[in-house]
Amino acid sequence: MGDTVDLDQFSDWMRRYAGVIHDNAPLLTELDSAIGDADHGSNMDRGMTAVVDALDVGEFTSPADLFKKVGMTLVSSVGGASGPLYGTFFLRFGGKLGAGPVDAEGLGVALHAGVDGIVQRGKAAVGDKTMLDAWVPAVEAYDAAASSGVGAALTAAAEAAAQGRDSATPLVAHRGRASYLGERSAGHQDPGATSTVLLLETAAETLG
Amino acid sequence: MIGIVVVSHSRALGEAVVALAREMAATPPPLAVAAGLDETTFGTDATEVASAIEHVAADTDGVLVLVDIGSSVLSAELACELVDPELAERVTISPAPLVEGIVPAVVAAAGGADLAEVAAEAEEGLAAKQAHLADNDDGEDDDAPAPSSPADRPARFVDVVVDEPHGLHARPAAALVALVRSFDAQVTVANLDAGTAPVSGTSLSKLATLDAGRGTRLRVSAEGPQAREVLAAVEVLAARDFAPEAPAQAASTSPAAVRGTATGFSRGSGLDVAIGPAHVVRDEVNVEGYQSRSPGEELTRSDEAAARVADAIRRQEGDDPLASDVLGAHLALLDDDAIRAGVAGRIASGDPATTAWQEVLGGVATDFAALADDYQRERAQDVRAVLRQVLQTLVAGPNAPLPQSKAVPEGAIVVIDELDPATAAGLDAGAVAGVVTVRGGSTGHGVIVARSRGIPIFTGGGATAAGIADSDIVGFDAASRLLVVRPNADETSRLRALLESRQSEADEAQGQAHEPAVTADGVRVRVAANITSARDAIGAGTTGAEGSGLVRTEIVFGAESAAPSLGRQAAEFLAIASGLQWQQITIRTWDVGGDKPLAFLPGPDEANPMLGVRGLRLMRQVPDLFDDQLRAICGAAEQTPVRVMFPMVTTRDEVDWALERLAAVRAELGADPIPVGIMVEVPAAAIRIAELARGLDFVSIGTNDLTQYTLAADRGNDGVSQLADGLDPAVLQLIRHVADHVPDGVAVAVCGDLASRVEAVSLLLGLGVHELSAVGPVVPGVKQAVRHTSLAAARALAEQALAAPSAAAVRELLRPAR
Repeated sequence: MGDTVDLDQFSDWMRRYAGVIHDNAPLLTELDSAIGDADHGSNMDRGMTAVVDALDVGEFTSPADLFKKVGMTLVSSVGGASGPLYGTFFLRFGGKLGAGPVDAEGLGVALHAGVDGIVQRGKAAVGDKTMLDAWVPAVEAYDAAASSGVGAALTAAAEAAAQGRDSATPLVAHRGRASYLGERSAGHQDPGATSTVLLLETAAETLG
Repeated sequence: MIGIVVVSHSRALGEAVVALAREMAATPPPLAVAAGLDETTFGTDATEVASAIEHVAADTDGVLVLVDIGSSVLSAELACELVDPELAERVTISPAPLVEGIVPAVVAAAGGADLAEVAAEAEEGLAAKQAHLADNDDGEDDDAPAPSSPADRPARFVDVVVDEPHGLHARPAAALVALVRSFDAQVTVANLDAGTAPVSGTSLSKLATLDAGRGTRLRVSAEGPQAREVLAAVEVLAARDFAPEAPAQAASTSPAAVRGTATGFSRGSGLDVAIGPAHVVRDEVNVEGYQSRSPGEELTRSDEAAARVADAIRRQEGDDPLASDVLGAHLALLDDDAIRAGVAGRIASGDPATTAWQEVLGGVATDFAALADDYQRERAQDVRAVLRQVLQTLVAGPNAPLPQSKAVPEGAIVVIDELDPATAAGLDAGAVAGVVTVRGGSTGHGVIVARSRGIPIFTGGGATAAGIADSDIVGFDAASRLLVVRPNADETSRLRALLESRQSEADEAQGQAHEPAVTADGVRVRVAANITSARDAIGAGTTGAEGSGLVRTEIVFGAESAAPSLGRQAAEFLAIASGLQWQQITIRTWDVGGDKPLAFLPGPDEANPMLGVRGLRLMRQVPDLFDDQLRAICGAAEQTPVRVMFPMVTTRDEVDWALERLAAVRAELGADPIPVGIMVEVPAAAIRIAELARGLDFVSIGTNDLTQYTLAADRGNDGVSQLADGLDPAVLQLIRHVADHVPDGVAVAVCGDLASRVEAVSLLLGLGVHELSAVGPVVPGVKQAVRHTSLAAARALAEQALAAPSAAAVRELLRPAR
């Protein structure tokens, strides 16, 4: 159902994601402790808690407004590299959304813009063992399924993201803190890709 | 200037990096930190970075952003998207390692480099460490040509040896960069011992790659308009062990800022006696040959002449701080709107440019000369010096080389109508034998400059001096007021004998400068120095001063427009202590009043400031400023032996107030006790010394103020200046009273002028004084006088002096003692 997504659904998505992150924070931190600085869970939890606080007090008239707030909040509260990365994603994503509800095609355009922002900010590519290993297959899958509607497309995207995350696990990290570990990073699941999968799974549940 | 923003995951790290970098420049560029989410949470915040960039950009031409790792880079990049796009164009994010990058970046920025240069300096930051740690024995170095092969050797070079114990490390290198940047010349530096390629003298990071340890020989080469000047300055800097100059002072005409002591430059003999051929300098400029043209042309010529003179003055600057102040005053005259308007007005009404300047500046000089204040009166000399240069330039015409003072032949005696400060500062003190003036007293500003540089000077030679012709042999002894023109064989040999005996005395004193001063009967006397700057301290350290008995904080920070921060004060105190090899320094709290105000602490406007709210009296009105200084003193005391001293004390109540403030500051900081003392300048304090000095560690007699308060005579007032004699028996009786009545264990010091008078040393010791603090250059002489004193004889001398009928009679008593 639902060929378009409106402001309230986007807002729900963010609130739901905040809860999911909170529940998964220990897992994310544990993943990060193996190959990074053991703060991804707590950083994302702090960021999304700040987002919920901002949503509670803010009045938003459009999805663009909403995601500008989300992006800036993440930028200034996450602390680690995921702050500017997710922050840039939401700023660019929101920049492509208009004032009213958005359909599957429009949502795809926004997702692309957001992921392009992550690429530009992090200068990483698929195979570097970063969140892009989840994002890039996800937007491809979304595009392929977009004609079937928002829900189906997001579900396909979430599944592709999970596969991408898992396919990156055996890889050696080339970007971010994990890259300092070199070969030793192989065999560990990437925390950034993991939080991306959670974001898309939550999107499929709330926006579909 | 370029500003710098530091982005780090850790606030503590970011702030520490900035603190480290700030040390590198006397006037660091604007710096801001965007680090950590809060004091303890690691992370970066792009919005914080953006506001730091905006903040720094407001006062600068561009911003270099230095980042640590990971999200710092991403947040910095995102920040550039968050700020105004026009601003973002003036921002560069540096790939340099944070610590290695910021140090050369701050030095380059402080030296006025543009954004690209500052960024390049930061990026080169790692090179020194890489070069140092690279395999040292590869011996191949084929990419490093031997320095200065004859074919590509620049026109000029000097070789200097690094005498700094830790080699040409960052601080001395920073001093070199700052110096080189202030000249219009391209300077390269090569390590002659290592035989590596020359590197740019304006690049801190490249200088660090020279890896010049102690004893390394460096070849400094220069090309360009000021090649000669920059090399001379580099030699001076090297001779000073690369100690940086005090921060450039604003053109200041306050006597406090000017009456420092020049050290580190070539010095004269300091013997007060000289003999040699006369080199007569004519002050008058002959303007008879000047051909006047239309008012329009005259105005152009006038403006051009003023501009050329200003240029010439600017080129002279930066050599000697004493001279810089004076030259700054000259520039201000040339730039003075009223003077320029006056000149233009006269030219418009038909005067030739020469006449216009003569009338206008002549009028100003006359006004100055009529002023009541001694110091102000001396400004007339400055005006005449500027007029002379403008007239010379006008007469010589636009294409003539700039008028230079004729080079003074080595060993000559300069004969001049009156000695203005600029001329005094411009003399080569090591080459000129002495100076004779026709007019002027012995206290003129130019005379003070000459004396501080050790140049023998005979003032007020009158008709005898006026009659001296070029190349006449002239001899004088300033101490006995003897001036001889064309001396006969007898006179010549007497002067030469005098010169030799003074020289051998001076050599002997200098030879033992670093030995303790012990009287003939075995009493050790501490001889310390009065200090007005860190540079002064370095000079005093080389003349054997045992620490400082008086750090004049109001002069140390006298050129600052805002109250110096606690950290800045403490750092300066440590720099002073370092110059004196970490011997004890005595820091006097702000001694400021209506007669010598500071920009950040103007005293009240008073009819009679000498009897007004000054010293400790003023501090009671601004206790926060006082407390801050006490905090800085306590901070310095943690790292080096320090005493604190309160000036202008009159009552016990004031002593208690100051002690309470000190106790409160110490309690707040958890600081250890430090020795405390007061100045004795007010007769009331001398008379009641038993009460005032209770519980103190020392008292120090300021003989200048004690003299003028005791005799009610202003030294600067010609009408009564003869009364204001520190040797007056009344003053001596007060000194004796202080020595006799201080509580047991309280040391009695003298830090006034009397302690710098070699002939008075014996008398002061006989009166019961334990410590002396003199101006740096006379420390060896004072020590020598101590050695020639036996306390028993000194006490007898003191008894005679106390009973003498007059200051003149006391002076007679002292004459044989010399």
